[in-house]
Amino acid sequence: MANQLFTNVSIFDGGGKKPYSGEVLVQGNRIKEVTRGGNTIRRDGVKVVDGEGATLMPGLVNCHSHLAYTDMPTLTAMGDVPPEENTLIAMRNAKTVLDHGITAAVSAASSKPRTDIVLRNEINSGRVPGPRFRAATPQFVSTGGPWDPRQMHMHHNSFEIVADGPVEFRQKVREMIREGVDIVKLAISGDGFADHAPEDTMTIAEDEIAAAAEVAHSRSIRLAAHARSDASIQASIKHGITFVHHATHASERTLDMLEKAKDKHYVCPAVGIIFATLNEASDWGVDREWALAHRLDRELEIGCETMMEMFKRGIKVMPYGDYGVAWNPHGTDNRDLEHFVSLIGFTPAQTLMMATKWGGEAWAGDDPIEFGEVKEGYLADLLLMDGDPLADITLFQDQDNFLMIMKNGEYHKTPRRRRVSRRRVAAAE
Amino acid sequence: MANQLFTDVSVFDGTGKKPFAGEVLVQGNRIKKVARGKSKIERRGVDVIDGGGAFLMPGLVNCHSHTTYLDTSSLAEVGDIPPEEATLKAAHNARIQLDNGLTAVVSAAAAKPRMDIVLRNEINSGRIPGPRMKACTPQLISTGGPWDARQMHMHHESFEITCDGPIEFRRATREMIREGVDIVKLAISGDNNTHPHAAEDMTTWAEDEIAAVMEVAQSRGVWACSHARGDDSIRLSIKYGIQFIHHATYASEKTLDSLEKRKHKHYICPAFGAIYTALHEASDWGVTPEFAETAGFARELEVGCKTMMKMHKRGIKVLPYGDYGVAWNPHGTDNRDLEHFVNLVGFTSAETLMMATMWGGEAFAFGGTPEMGQVKEGFLADLLLVDGDPLADITIMQDKDNFLMIMKDGEYHKAPRRRRHTARRRVAAAE
Repeated sequence: MANQLFTNVSIFDGGGKKPYSGEVLVQGNRIKEVTRGGNTIRRDGVKVVDGEGATLMPGLVNCHSHLAYTDMPTLTAMGDVPPEENTLIAMRNAKTVLDHGITAAVSAASSKPRTDIVLRNEINSGRVPGPRFRAATPQFVSTGGPWDPRQMHMHHNSFEIVADGPVEFRQKVREMIREGVDIVKLAISGDGFADHAPEDTMTIAEDEIAAAAEVAHSRSIRLAAHARSDASIQASIKHGITFVHHATHASERTLDMLEKAKDKHYVCPAVGIIFATLNEASDWGVDREWALAHRLDRELEIGCETMMEMFKRGIKVMPYGDYGVAWNPHGTDNRDLEHFVSLIGFTPAQTLMMATKWGGEAWAGDDPIEFGEVKEGYLADLLLMDGDPLADITLFQDQDNFLMIMKNGEYHKTPRRRRVSRRRVAAAE
Repeated sequence: MANQLFTDVSVFDGTGKKPFAGEVLVQGNRIKKVARGKSKIERRGVDVIDGGGAFLMPGLVNCHSHTTYLDTSSLAEVGDIPPEEATLKAAHNARIQLDNGLTAVVSAAAAKPRMDIVLRNEINSGRIPGPRMKACTPQLISTGGPWDARQMHMHHESFEITCDGPIEFRRATREMIREGVDIVKLAISGDNNTHPHAAEDMTTWAEDEIAAVMEVAQSRGVWACSHARGDDSIRLSIKYGIQFIHHATYASEKTLDSLEKRKHKHYICPAFGAIYTALHEASDWGVTPEFAETAGFARELEVGCKTMMKMHKRGIKVLPYGDYGVAWNPHGTDNRDLEHFVNLVGFTSAETLMMATMWGGEAFAFGGTPEMGQVKEGFLADLLLVDGDPLADITIMQDKDNFLMIMKDGEYHKAPRRRRHTARRRVAAAE
């Protein structure tokens, strides 16, 4: 493909600063040049894409992704899907999220042991479209942990690997590393959805966390935790778990600990699922009464307050999470950006910085891979948006507002004309 | 989609008769009208596709397909691929078959128990492109049968389900019917180049085991196919009413007589492609010509070709295709089989294409009224538009660029495009 030059675009560079009108040149899979103003980059030998004043920004990064989840309404309904069908469903989900501008994702649990791994390999081989992907294990739970669906008289599966005792955790983490995961997910706390293991309990013992973390660290594999309770968040910090998911009930003391270690952790509250369960799940038999009985209103309220407090302390909070169940399905992920603005109170610019610059940094970890910003030398994961996302964060919820989606310098969606005749965004005037 | 009218085409209707210049109208998923000559069908309200004299024919039907085989060079290699990767590869293979004009396939064994079933369901749901498909079990074999990959000290898999004794076979068949197969596969004979004591002319099953599988299959309305190279295995296939007898190389005169008597109940697919390529084109994978000779491939091919011609003369239905999906005989090359039928066996191109279309459509119906495989009013619209005359040169089916249009069930898999040769190389019948 010839070098692609985006002209007449309003550039949101991912850093959270005010967008500016300028031009961006892509060469191969990288951003070669970024300039302010018009007619600043040579036109010969390049393909010029006139942005007509649209917003050019980095691709979105979801750091709490469940691409292998099957949009099912119950745990066992997901467990009942055999590996073959689940693989095909995961393949479709990967395309769906890329269609919505998510060009990179860190999994926060697979549905079955190998689903994430196989999907990542298939995307990397170029055979199916999908975001850059970090593959996770299923949820590691202990017997009776939040997603243990077994009955005494009968076996069932959900999206879990059950282990008890440090040696079993060690062996099963080793097994998943052998299969090729990038992320080990530990369901340390309980969850509001599980009657036998509520959200403010610890369900994995500390020696088990230590065993899993020891194996993972020794093999340079990162970890993620399901951690709603205070003790589970503390354990996550203590054992160097990179992605602390939910982190709702963090005490002052825990916030202090996290603040001290703020360069080592990312927090994804995943507010979308709580919001949808409270307000939109009655078609699946989950009515408001049920949600209130399981204290989901409290979970949402405290979670939002905690996130704002963390952000003020410089702890990295990021949007997305838990899309892939019936009432919070794949393809609606970008509602999370709106939740960050309307429920928590972050600005759209802050939210988009979290979803791009911080996301890119979180995805990369120690690997020398750079994306998430419109910056010279960075990988060309870029979106062209029809409108001004800083004025209207809901823009991302309609696929048609994506005029162009580029991943690694290649078009997933080739550039098209703006729909509204020259509705220019302020900065590009 | 509006009704589609193909004009200025040379119609090969699948029956093997000489093509005629005419017009074909498709409405919904069916062929609404077939007319001889020009300007016979009303143009109003329809999309007119000017065929430019190209060859319109029914979609091809492969009745010995291994869509889920993974183009590997050894048994253990197939077995080593986990179900997730195999599922994705199978989806890819299904598209490749349809890209090459195969609009329907009857599987002659899956790579793993659920693979065919899942692929068929995914195609039927419209979520991925692929041919109409009948889903099969893996190869049912006995311990030490041709594709038993296990070692005494270690488990291995190939593409098999191993059973011993009628009860185990009965249970395995029931299990696969529960999962949703359309057809069960019995690997009754041995095969070239497997265990020395499971050679191609040996029978690796006991008769009570065949009876057990067929009793379950027949009671549940599921069809059966057999891997049957040796005479005895062919005899047993006929005795137990196995509808698709694959290979059928070493049929004796007596066996041919009994097959002729029941010729409306059976279809034979020799599957020459894998044997031909193993003999001539497999050295890169360690299958040298010397090895192929020792393994009996030359004899297999020579005797098989003669047997197929004898069967055809007796009115027994012989069909092309089979065993594409191994490294040296990969997916996407299936249409070489049509050339093999002409060059190696000696059938005419018209006979070969009739086998691949009309007879294939009839076989795919599984005993019901055939609904596709012919360009015939009321039939399902599985149609190909071919750039050139395959009756003059059967090898043109091997280049997918020669398919100007591929339609399955009234929908375009490949939308019509102009003929490539500007000189309007019209086929004779359309002049």
